Amino acid sequence: MRRAELQGNLAMTVTLVSGAMLFITLFMGYAVYRTNAPFWPPLNIDKVPLTWPWISSMIIALSSWTCYQARSLAQKGEWKSAQLFSLFTIFCGLSFVGTQTLLWRDLKMSGIMVDSGVFASILYGFTWIHALHMVLGLGGLVFLHLTLLKVDSKNLYKVMNVERFWHFLGIVWAFMFAGLFLF
Amino acid sequence: MSGGFNEIHEAPTTFWSKYIVSYDHKVIAKQFLWYAIFFLGVGGMMALMIRWTLAYPGQPFPIIGKLLLPSTGGVIPPDTYAMLFTLHGTIMIFYAITPLLIGAFGNYCIPLMIGARDMAFPLLNMLSFWFAALSGLILLASLFLPLGGAAGGWTSYPTLSTLIGSPGDGQTLWCLAIFVLGISSTMGAVNYITTVITLRAPGMGYFDMPLTVWGLWLTAILNAIFVPVLGAGVMLLLMDRMFGTTFFLAGASATAGSGDPVLFQHVFWIFGHPEVYILILPAWGIVSDLLSFFSRKPAFGAKATAMSMTAVTILSTLVYGHHMFTTQMSPLLTQSFMTLTMTISIPSAIFFANWLGTIWKGSIRFDSPMLFSLGVVFVFGLGGLTGLHLGTVTTDLYLHDTYFVVGHFHYTMAASVLLGGYAGIYFWFPKMFGRMMNEMMAKIHFWGTMIPLNGIFFGMLMVGYGGMHRRIYNPFVYDSLKRLIPINEMITISAILMGLFQIVFVVNFLYSLWKGKKAPSNPWNVGTLEWTIPSPPVHHNYDEIPVVKCGPHELGNPNLKNGRDFQYQTEELVKG
Repeated sequence: MRRAELQGNLAMTVTLVSGAMLFITLFMGYAVYRTNAPFWPPLNIDKVPLTWPWISSMIIALSSWTCYQARSLAQKGEWKSAQLFSLFTIFCGLSFVGTQTLLWRDLKMSGIMVDSGVFASILYGFTWIHALHMVLGLGGLVFLHLTLLKVDSKNLYKVMNVERFWHFLGIVWAFMFAGLFLF
Repeated sequence: MSGGFNEIHEAPTTFWSKYIVSYDHKVIAKQFLWYAIFFLGVGGMMALMIRWTLAYPGQPFPIIGKLLLPSTGGVIPPDTYAMLFTLHGTIMIFYAITPLLIGAFGNYCIPLMIGARDMAFPLLNMLSFWFAALSGLILLASLFLPLGGAAGGWTSYPTLSTLIGSPGDGQTLWCLAIFVLGISSTMGAVNYITTVITLRAPGMGYFDMPLTVWGLWLTAILNAIFVPVLGAGVMLLLMDRMFGTTFFLAGASATAGSGDPVLFQHVFWIFGHPEVYILILPAWGIVSDLLSFFSRKPAFGAKATAMSMTAVTILSTLVYGHHMFTTQMSPLLTQSFMTLTMTISIPSAIFFANWLGTIWKGSIRFDSPMLFSLGVVFVFGLGGLTGLHLGTVTTDLYLHDTYFVVGHFHYTMAASVLLGGYAGIYFWFPKMFGRMMNEMMAKIHFWGTMIPLNGIFFGMLMVGYGGMHRRIYNPFVYDSLKRLIPINEMITISAILMGLFQIVFVVNFLYSLWKGKKAPSNPWNVGTLEWTIPSPPVHHNYDEIPVVKCGPHELGNPNLKNGRDFQYQTEELVKG
């Protein structure tokens, strides 16, 4: 493995460990709140709107697949198709952030305001933090697309590292969706 | 490994690219050094103001008191006192010691000591400094807000740090500053870890690395793992303060549904205990190397020292609960945390014994870096031993939140790390700036620091054992504490003395920068890689990447015939 490639991969691994620790801390806090609460969701919260979280989940899953496709097509030397898939991934990423804003609107319309207690704090706070990372990820996707436009196989490790970050955000969302919205 | 980022880059030519947004690890190290010295001054002045209040409450702080606090005639009022001890802790830990040990020495030493031309990611390195600078600016700006800076303690426990306890914007800016600094630390950690793994010179195995690099590398690993934990905590605290969430609000302060203030303590200490080692591991590494260099002997049990430091790093992640014995923790948990805490004594004792083994029967040279290193051995010994009292549940219940705790953590985190930092500055100054520091002034600085420092921190242990609470504004109003007033005065006088002797350091540092004797390439006669190149090194460090053939502590080898008592790491080990 070339040194630059090894360095890039190592740096991304350390970054993902750091990112994972941030979200693990949040989930640990969530576990404490939830296990200590007499009722979850609290009695004053009727129903959490699930439409947009479901749509967000499908979009982010699709974006993970398109990101994977972009990288594997680039590895095969099919640069044009790879570029198309990376553009589609950016579109999916933007759509995800869009659906998150609609989720926050729905929460508000359902009477779940940010200051409605710790349950609402978690719904808003955790999705805000995840969305912030998604914005960073979108920056990464733009970088990925620009890298693919250079049509240079030496840069494939960069594409692969952006892909790893994007999958990481998808996995975090999967935990959030399951933990916060489904169960 | 081939290709990659270890090639020679052209030296920058403009002032802007050379000194401001430099990618050169040596320049970034110096930026961090100046940053740390500035904040050491600010944090030190705050310490003097705190100590003045405790010894002479109600009296104006001398000389600059009326200038800083015109509305009270120079007297430090209680709310300002709370702000001072909060920001003194914050500044010294995050803005003075961290940038000195990790930012300055990490940046300067890692590439030079492993034979690399720069860090793996120079741009990230530069950004790391400027994020730290932004964070420092945010924190300093908070001092000028109408209600002043943060005043909830350096630990910022809710509810002291929520809008109920700290209504002004100072605490909000504190959270923001710490978060931004966390980004800087994480960037640094990514860089350090990658650099050590990928850019070691050919022939340099992990155990051929100087122990300084070991300490910095382990610190970077802890930083990468645990700084985000604090990041998560302060982010939630920031949301509580700015957006109305209730993560850490409880009872009457939470209007709808309760959060959990104690949860912040858990999050803080999951980060906070490793943070102690984040600060001290680089100092341990530096001292482990310097004791060997100035005893003219190989480091005793160098591999065991490296492994012990690694063991401490791992164990440091499992002991945070000993900071929270008094939070109604289950006895099963307190006993578990106590046992794990005691376990840390084993690796600590191993490398401490190795330090003693290193200097045992050595031809000790009492140059200033060695004096400061021996100082670390002494104060860390005291700090470590007093830690046993606080790691044991029964004694901690009595001593918790007293000045004994303050004395203990100052011995470990302040005294050890500060003396280790000074040892490093005196040792690498010739390499950094190409000039020698004045040795006589350095020795005056050492004794002028070492003696009052023990007056301060041992005094704190004594008043703490006598029952003085750590956050008292005026001990004179409590009958039970009146007998401790003379000791409090002794601590304050010691602090003033120590502060005055730091002027000797500043004068020596500034004078030597311009007028110091020109430094040869290897003034201390040691064999690690940085001493094989001129002082100061050229922009790209090494014309040819060195090939390492022996360890970093090859001193006093009786088989050496060339008139030297040390070998460079680039030389074959001389055997009999």
